[in-house]
Amino acid sequence: MIYVIDHKDSFTHNVVHQLSLFDEVRCTNYYEINNQYLKRASTIVLSPGPGSPKDYPITSNIYKNYKGRKRIIGICLGFQQILYCEGAKIVQQKQIYHGFQSKIKVVSKNSIFKNKNIYKVGRYHSLKLKEPFYSKNFDITMRCDISGSAMALENNIDKIYGFQFHPESFLTVNGNLLIKKILSA
Amino acid sequence: MNKNKILNDINLSAKPYVIYKTSNGFDLFTDFSKKIILSNNNVTNFLETISSNKKKIKKTDLYIGFFGYELLNHLIGIKFPKQKTNFFPKGIFYKPETLISLSENLSFKAQTTDKKNKQFKININRKNYTKIFNKFKRKIKQGETYQIKICTKYKNKSKIDPLDFFCRLSKSNLAPEAFLIKDKNYSVISCSPETLIEKKGRSIITKPIAGTLKKNTSLNKSKALQYFRKNIKETKEHNMIVDMERNDLSRICIPGSVKIKKEKTIEEYKDLFHYVSLIKGKLNKKVKTIDIVKSMMPGGSVIGCPKISTLNLLNNQEKENRNIYTGSFGYIKFNGDMRFNIIIRSILNFKNISEISVASGVVIDSNANHEFNENFIKAKALIDLFK
Repeated sequence: MIYVIDHKDSFTHNVVHQLSLFDEVRCTNYYEINNQYLKRASTIVLSPGPGSPKDYPITSNIYKNYKGRKRIIGICLGFQQILYCEGAKIVQQKQIYHGFQSKIKVVSKNSIFKNKNIYKVGRYHSLKLKEPFYSKNFDITMRCDISGSAMALENNIDKIYGFQFHPESFLTVNGNLLIKKILSA
Repeated sequence: MNKNKILNDINLSAKPYVIYKTSNGFDLFTDFSKKIILSNNNVTNFLETISSNKKKIKKTDLYIGFFGYELLNHLIGIKFPKQKTNFFPKGIFYKPETLISLSENLSFKAQTTDKKNKQFKININRKNYTKIFNKFKRKIKQGETYQIKICTKYKNKSKIDPLDFFCRLSKSNLAPEAFLIKDKNYSVISCSPETLIEKKGRSIITKPIAGTLKKNTSLNKSKALQYFRKNIKETKEHNMIVDMERNDLSRICIPGSVKIKKEKTIEEYKDLFHYVSLIKGKLNKKVKTIDIVKSMMPGGSVIGCPKISTLNLLNNQEKENRNIYTGSFGYIKFNGDMRFNIIIRSILNFKNISEISVASGVVIDSNANHEFNENFIKAKALIDLFK
């Protein structure tokens, strides 16, 4: 079972529908975290949402509790939340992408995705990862083809994955395949 | 009997009535046996008891009316700070006993014309608008909202003949979701273009509009499409709304059933082109009327995105109640089928005060002056009816 924590977003249910293609999914609001679901889930998904990681301390606690014990996936805000919990700084970017389709590239040989592959994806983010960033076992595996901003993270030891873009958006080509891959990795 | 004579007679009789655009004309609903005034206390009960799953129903087995903006916020648990209000009801629904189909060409001549209508006054001037605009732009940079619609309101003291207004408006702008409500102490005249919900059986569609282009002689449909395709700002705004409406449908539909049937197409009206998408889904078996209303309303395209945080930002900013504006008008049949629009491009006349609200979007690359002017252009089409 996959448990999605919804950070009051208007895209979360697109994520839920996409995940439902592969497994049973439960989703509750950030203010109504369900401990039974948390315990039962094999995968925890941190949804997109407004604001920045520091606005959601409960999610940070959940991440720290379950890191290494369950598969964790973060999307957009969720991606930033994982990085934030790993000590990264999340900052405003100069160029802001909302509803924007752009090309991103796989930039790591260690990635479960084929190195140098290019994907067309939908983006909705004001903030980004401040680099350099280093945390044990974490790799930034995809980057914006133009700006170089971090677009995906992988920690294949602890089974932690994150996308800064939105695999569930209609702007992302083959989003289902991206999700399938990290669910089966 | 001549159908337009029917219209004249009903208007003279002072009976309340409702007119709603259909695909090839208008439906007129009247002889109301019930009128339900909605409040935060009774709205849930109203929605929970309205459809009885009866298979066979009469054409008048429905409730027609509107949900105001505040009521729709209440339904999804969003609170309001204290606002200025004129105590107009938060929602009203009628049970009609008579339905008459009318042709597209409504003809009606007002008996008297009142020329003493006062000038319209705006509630937020350019300077204050710019202040709010810049504040919201900061919120976008901080990631609290991605798109937000600032509402401005024009008001005047006026006595109007709503049917006369509606007929003139329909002649100049035959909008697919146009409607008129005439009751004793209020009327609503609308040329709304936007369908929020069309539900038949377990099939549901929504048809968001994001992007409007005024017609001129050098523009045709394919040039309008090119304009929108090339305009990155319009494209981004539209994309955002499409993903948000997919999301809202996904809350109540079977996984995998939510599909974009028409992606970013042009619809042509008398004076304008709209940039429109059509999204369809198949409802989950367990979904009830109240679930549909709570998932889809208030309609995202006129609020901004993401819905909840954007509504909170708006409500903390706005000093005056929106009343009907960005609420929804339509009907719920006793078998659970429904049709609702988004109330925009509308005049509310209540106790001889007319109000016209308009809004336009703030995204990262929009400009305060341009949006303020855009708001005025939208309002002007309605203000001109008072001349």
